Amino acid sequence: MTWKYFRKTTVSKERQYELLRAPVITEKATLGSEHNQVTFRVPLDATKPEIKIAVEQVFEVKVVSVNTLRQQGKKKMFRGRRGQRSDYKKAIVRLAEGHSIDVTTGI
Amino acid sequence: MQVTETKNEGLSRAYAITVPASDIQQRVESRLQELVGQVNIPGFRPGKVPVKLIRQRYGDAVKGEVLQAAVAENASKALADREIQPAMQPKIEVTTFEEGKDLEFKIELDVLPVIEPVDFKTVELERLKARIEDKEVDESLLRMAENFGKTEPVAKPRKSKEGDVVVIDFEGSVGGEAFEGGAAKDYHLELGAGRFIPGFESQLAGAAAGDHVKVEVAFPENYGNPGLAGKDAVFEVDVKEIREKVPATIDDEFAKQVGLETVADLKKQMRQRLEGEYAAVARDRVKRQLLDKLDAVHDFEAPQGMLDAEFDSIWNQYESARKNQELDPEDEKKSEEEVREEFHGIAARRVRLGLLLAAVGQRNNIEVTPEEVNRALIRQAQNFPGHERRIIEAYRNNENLMASLRAPIFEEKVVDFIIEMADVKEREVSAEELLRDPDAGEEGATAATAATAKAGKAKKSAAKKAAAPGKAPDKAPDKDKPKAKPKAKAKSAKAKE
Repeated sequence: MTWKYFRKTTVSKERQYELLRAPVITEKATLGSEHNQVTFRVPLDATKPEIKIAVEQVFEVKVVSVNTLRQQGKKKMFRGRRGQRSDYKKAIVRLAEGHSIDVTTGI
Repeated sequence: MQVTETKNEGLSRAYAITVPASDIQQRVESRLQELVGQVNIPGFRPGKVPVKLIRQRYGDAVKGEVLQAAVAENASKALADREIQPAMQPKIEVTTFEEGKDLEFKIELDVLPVIEPVDFKTVELERLKARIEDKEVDESLLRMAENFGKTEPVAKPRKSKEGDVVVIDFEGSVGGEAFEGGAAKDYHLELGAGRFIPGFESQLAGAAAGDHVKVEVAFPENYGNPGLAGKDAVFEVDVKEIREKVPATIDDEFAKQVGLETVADLKKQMRQRLEGEYAAVARDRVKRQLLDKLDAVHDFEAPQGMLDAEFDSIWNQYESARKNQELDPEDEKKSEEEVREEFHGIAARRVRLGLLLAAVGQRNNIEVTPEEVNRALIRQAQNFPGHERRIIEAYRNNENLMASLRAPIFEEKVVDFIIEMADVKEREVSAEELLRDPDAGEEGATAATAATAKAGKAKKSAAKKAAAPGKAPDKAPDKDKPKAKPKAKAKSAKAKE
């Protein structure tokens, strides 16, 4: 735990757009849409409160909860050398009833 | 589907067609369903992509596709229901097409006229048959001998004249410098043959053996070598010898030279060749007569669209001919309106005869077999020695070109068919009368040879025209037929006019 989790979160406009890097569009992510969940790729250092504020302000929706996970980059061999894909963080954002985001159209 | 007729005048028809929105919607849905199994989007296993996502990505494309299919299908169905045969590709215009609204579109087209061929037995034709006189055979033999002739030095020294062959050494220079290909020794130059730059040969006329002549000529502007075109050149020419042409004597020796045994054989062959030539001319004449008669007895309206297309293609030819300055001197004198008028007439004739022949062919199940097409293809390829394979390939891969091969064959077959049924009388005439241009009257070609050459040329140009209509606007190959056909015909007709 670092202090960043205890501070009251304020998120600048720039940070908001930085946070939401891309929607995750996969089979698994679309399954979540039945539960009003939207998945984003976020920076590794993003926190849940930050993400919540960013999503609420950028898309003008109400967020109920945010779950995050760190996806470890795969280890790959590249031209006989060992390589490592970057890790990334996914945030699964649950929206309040009646709210929705069209993830495919972009911000 | 709801169809209302908005126009019905003469041969032109117009319809407004409405397709309900639900119909379109349903088609779009089913098409999207189909796509689910086909598209591959990263993040999804094949076939597991949600329809929503596909709609987002491909929705517009699918809609356009469905629209086109719906329009084409409904249009052809509407025509089929009314048993309409469009003469050309119908013009289709979509008036409204929006999400959730009915699709409305208009089609405009010309229908094929109903053609009732007359009883061909009533068509009276006259086939001319030429007697071949011994004199003519002898004349052609003489001409042949001339071509096989040799040159011999003139017995008495004299000045050269047109028709002689001079043996020369020459060296040419432009601006004082010799250029490549400008010099030769012991060159046999026939005066008056036009083999050299204009002016060269005429300046040598009148020279005697041993003379030294300085020939000053200008290369023509359109000379093949751009470095020399338009330049003035000076040729130093030494005339070494003057030879005159001596025709070969007609004897068995001569016959052997051309691959036959005796003079009698040669004469026989010559006669056969003449007969063949005359028969071809006679056939052309009969055909022309037939087409004139058919044109006169049949009275039906030709679709405006086809007339316009035909006129445009003639007009384009005329325009490009004018640009290249290859116009007939006759055409040059006429004003634009006159030419237009004339071309409209030609276009109408071509289209009408084309439609008529196509109708006759269809009615009597006249078809062009693949073998016949192949033969024509090979003949065509032989015109381009060295490129046979390429030509054949090009034709095989292009439906339009193939149609242009098929068209003349089809036309010939139909014409043969009609001639067979028609009331043909034979009349024996002299060769001269046969070859005389029917339209040119008295001033027409009098010498048999000139006429033959002319007929041959006319035929060739007709064949060329027939091969040209690859750019015909119609899509369907059977539509191409009537187009290509009249072209060949009317062109030869025009050549004679």
